[in-house]
Amino acid sequence: MTAKKILIIEDDKDLLRGLNVRLRATGYHTVFATDAISAISVARKEVPDVIVLDIGLPCGDGFTVMKRLTSLAPTSATPIVVITGRDPSAYKDQALKAGAVAFLHKPFDNDELLATIREALGEPSEKTSPELRTPNA
Amino acid sequence: MKPEIQTPNRGIAKVLLIEDDPEDALLLREMLAQRRDSRFNLECADRLQAGLERLGNGGTDVLLLDLSLPDSIGLETVHKVHAHASGVPIVVLTGLDDEALAIRAVREGAQDYLVKGQVDSNLLVRSIHYAIERHRLLTELEQAREKELRLKDQFLSHVSHELRSPLTTIQQFITIMLDGLAGNLSPEQREYMEITLRNANQLRTMIGDLLEVSRAETGKLTVERRRFHLPELIAETLRTFHTTAAPKDIVLSADVPNDLPAAYADPDRVRQILTNLIDNAIKFTPKNGTVSALGHVWDQDSDFLRVAVTDTGCGIRPEDTERIFDRLYQEFNAIEGNHIGLGLGLYICKELVSRHGGRIWAESQLGHGSTFTFTLPILSMPRLLAPILTTKNLRAGSLALITVVLIPHGNRLLTKADENAVREVRNILKRCTLPDKDILLPNLTLTELEDIFFVAACTDRSGAEVIASRVREQLRNCKYLQYARLAVTTSFTMVDIPPMEKRMNVERIVGDVANAVGDTVNHEILQKKEDSYDRKENSHHRR
Repeated sequence: MTAKKILIIEDDKDLLRGLNVRLRATGYHTVFATDAISAISVARKEVPDVIVLDIGLPCGDGFTVMKRLTSLAPTSATPIVVITGRDPSAYKDQALKAGAVAFLHKPFDNDELLATIREALGEPSEKTSPELRTPNA
Repeated sequence: MKPEIQTPNRGIAKVLLIEDDPEDALLLREMLAQRRDSRFNLECADRLQAGLERLGNGGTDVLLLDLSLPDSIGLETVHKVHAHASGVPIVVLTGLDDEALAIRAVREGAQDYLVKGQVDSNLLVRSIHYAIERHRLLTELEQAREKELRLKDQFLSHVSHELRSPLTTIQQFITIMLDGLAGNLSPEQREYMEITLRNANQLRTMIGDLLEVSRAETGKLTVERRRFHLPELIAETLRTFHTTAAPKDIVLSADVPNDLPAAYADPDRVRQILTNLIDNAIKFTPKNGTVSALGHVWDQDSDFLRVAVTDTGCGIRPEDTERIFDRLYQEFNAIEGNHIGLGLGLYICKELVSRHGGRIWAESQLGHGSTFTFTLPILSMPRLLAPILTTKNLRAGSLALITVVLIPHGNRLLTKADENAVREVRNILKRCTLPDKDILLPNLTLTELEDIFFVAACTDRSGAEVIASRVREQLRNCKYLQYARLAVTTSFTMVDIPPMEKRMNVERIVGDVANAVGDTVNHEILQKKEDSYDRKENSHHRR
């Protein structure tokens, strides 16, 4: 089975790198973008299986990106997982209404992130392998 | 030079006099007219109601108020005016020379209190000018204070969000190291990374607390109450502390009967409270101590559950057992000899407990340990239904329970991905209810995502049919349900209400009806479970 492809859209380059390492180690193929405009072109070119999307982005925010992606053919049905440090009480509903399948509030657990991605991919939920689990993280 | 009185009417103060005695009114008019140095525009009303209407039109700079009016007497008059138009300064003007009354009038919101017969033109004018000035200063102060509070909350909220992104990166890279994704670690390196991670987690808790406090202060601390079982939650929460308690050889134990009645609370919030209390208990307990959690029906009020966390730690000084719940109270840790935390944890606990309608308190013997206790309401159908089981509705004689069941295609269970759909079903049902007549019951399924919803409606069979068909139509048009691949069935059951006779005990009827609704609810939930089990069995057989 070929590895599922995840597009990470995150303007914090350090976090992007960390997520990249984590998701590759879990067995996913990753592609990334650091601003709203390149996010859309990368998404259309790569056609990922899941998109992990930050809200605060240069050149337009995550909502603009979601609006474009959900209305364009190759990505209209791609599940989007929103990750943000912004207040869930103000942004969670808005993100879900805009078409996100899940909303993760930073800082999130790796288990939480990986379980959400698996669910978005429609993969059976299973625990991460024991050596990849870190307590309380 | 005389300072100009600041009024919107360019120095002409618009005065409204509410006074029912025409002679008094005339006298006051003359006093004001005598003045050459200040100009007044006087309007009169002889009833409170008429005065309030004038005030409602706006433009009044100051109000001269008699306390004995045909339609309002005494301090009540000040209270009513203040409630109606708090933006207008009030000078009370009465025949009663009563110092105590005067002070109370000022407390109720009046700027000054003058006694008729002791007033001359000078005093009256000065009092009017002072009232306007005092009121303006007070308003400015209040506005400045409100603005400051708002800015502080915005700042708190902004800071706690901005701190989150870098913390996510820190935690990610620590776990990358610990998981060996960047090569193997020596035991010493591993230990140091674990220390770093523990501290990053502490930072995360503090940032979370900061945000919670700013929410509490702006009234945005939300609780989503539903039916849930406390014993499992207590056991689960205690389990997460095994690794924290182990290095100090602290024994964790729970004493919660399994048949405890269901709580009506937000389980995430209750977990948050418990986590805070247990975390504190472990922190303040020396080696080889014990921390135990217990839960039972509160012996002082059987509508509540009592949850207690007891430790064998250093204890709290008696004078501090109340203060520790104050915001920013800093706890001194006698064991580690330092102050820890931001002093927000117990304050948040107190806010959360009171939002559930419960209480929290601490008891302690210095040197022997402490017990932190909080109470939570027990799920009670009579209380949930109380808003609609009014005598009027009971007299009408019928109640319908409308049941909406979600059935995921392909025998799967509801998952987080169905959250949108579940939320939307709730919104739709909420929109289909009439205030005072119908009530959408909270999640009664004992699971986070409800697959069965109930609306209790005070209506007869034909009314129930109308509601059910309206619900069906709205759900049919709901795009979330289509996306989520969920089937929906809507049905209703009639619940008998015994005929209301004179001198019958209404409370007992409410209890009986509520119990009948409760039984139907439980039956439907059980039925739904059996149905989904049968479907699963059938699909297995077909394979």
